[in-house]
Amino acid sequence: MSTLKVNKIRDTSGSTDAITLDPSGGAVLAGVTTMTTARITTGITTSIQVGGGVTISESGIEASGIGITCANINGTQISGRRNLVINGAMSVAQRGTSSTSQGYHTVDRFKPYAGGADENPTQAQVDVSSGTSPYTEGFRKALKITNGNQTSGAGGADYMQIEHKFEAHDLANSGWNYTSSSSFITLSFWVKSSVSQDFQIVLRTTDGPSQSFQFETPTLSANTWTKIVKTIPGNSNITFDNNASQGMAIYWFPFIGTNYTSPSNTLNAWVQSTSGTYGVTDPTTWWTTNDATFELTGVQLEVGSQATAFEHRTFGDELALCQRYFQKYACTDQEWIYVESNGAEYKWWQSHFNPMRTTPTVDISGLSTGSGTSFAGGSGNISSIAVTSTSGGDANGRVSYRVTGSATWGTARTLHHTDSWDGEFVTYSAEL
Amino acid sequence: MAKYKLTKDPVTGEELPFIILGEGAFIPKNTDNTDYQDYLDWVAEGNTPDPAD
Repeated sequence: MSTLKVNKIRDTSGSTDAITLDPSGGAVLAGVTTMTTARITTGITTSIQVGGGVTISESGIEASGIGITCANINGTQISGRRNLVINGAMSVAQRGTSSTSQGYHTVDRFKPYAGGADENPTQAQVDVSSGTSPYTEGFRKALKITNGNQTSGAGGADYMQIEHKFEAHDLANSGWNYTSSSSFITLSFWVKSSVSQDFQIVLRTTDGPSQSFQFETPTLSANTWTKIVKTIPGNSNITFDNNASQGMAIYWFPFIGTNYTSPSNTLNAWVQSTSGTYGVTDPTTWWTTNDATFELTGVQLEVGSQATAFEHRTFGDELALCQRYFQKYACTDQEWIYVESNGAEYKWWQSHFNPMRTTPTVDISGLSTGSGTSFAGGSGNISSIAVTSTSGGDANGRVSYRVTGSATWGTARTLHHTDSWDGEFVTYSAEL
Repeated sequence: MAKYKLTKDPVTGEELPFIILGEGAFIPKNTDNTDYQDYLDWVAEGNTPDPAD
């Protein structure tokens, strides 16, 4: 190929030069330049600059001092809440910080559960170590499962799962066109295991014929935080009702037995759920290793095909979201009651301060009665407390109690707990 | 002792719309409440709650 050596190029009918060549190898294009595709195949070694405000370089686009006009980012809303997961940073733990019980006992909205365990695993809210990811991404807490000693080995019906449930209307109204295979949600999270292996993850819908999307993590390096990102398409078989019942759950399985899996299961695609669609055959190492650990934090599920940076919320915002499902009332040492005129009915009321998902279960097992309790101006002590009515759902609810004991009738009294009710709680649960 | 127990108002003796679980969790008879769903599943398995005191 020969080289055309000129200094300038001008249209035959033009009056000014269109291209002025630079002896050092560059060129200046004058006027309006139109092209179908501008493709830079070897990267931008310095930058493309538009005026003084916009710089496009290898590391991104910087726009200062100007507005950006666009229809969407990542195919969805530009601002506002993106994360459909509540308490994905594991910061709220209303029930406690460590437990060997099954179900919701530590980190809100995340439900650990083991089946077939010889020794129950321990769930705990733990600190994220400083100085490295995901601490440097702003995560301070994680949910940690510490395995028990599973002396009978990895049975087919054994499993250890962490479950996060979504209300159906939150998915139906999310903006995800979930029946379209070209519309996506993206799940991202940080995970760490003391055992090097892969783990099964399943999204499972509830309404209509349930659908399952199964995938597995890469083989994790032991004791190393890894960020997992999975983009998931919609599917014509997915249904979400527009109600407050469960619409979908995400399951993380530190271990899942062969009763619930199959080597022939299809990964990375939606299939109709059965009892055996919880992934492909899982390694048994984690389950058969006494005190093996599995940690999880930074869970985000968002509409769109890209995992955006985690949506950090304030503790207060996150707590308020959690209280739709669980609240606790901290009793003081003096609770007001009303004594009915017949002298036998002593009534106590409380309100739960946020509307809850539905009428809650009220747990008063943490309250003591008998000695250590008394009625101001009365005699004897509290012999029983029973819940007599509740309200809730879409409004702030109230709980009514009947207290039995002995007291002067016909006036409001304080119900004394002389050894102090401090530290004793009434809890309200409207979990999915 | 059954896992669940029916409830009565301790003063009036009227049946209350709650099922008691364990040591004192009052489960409302509301089908949107998942604890009540668990109770219904337990009854469907042929179990019977204890009567109220």
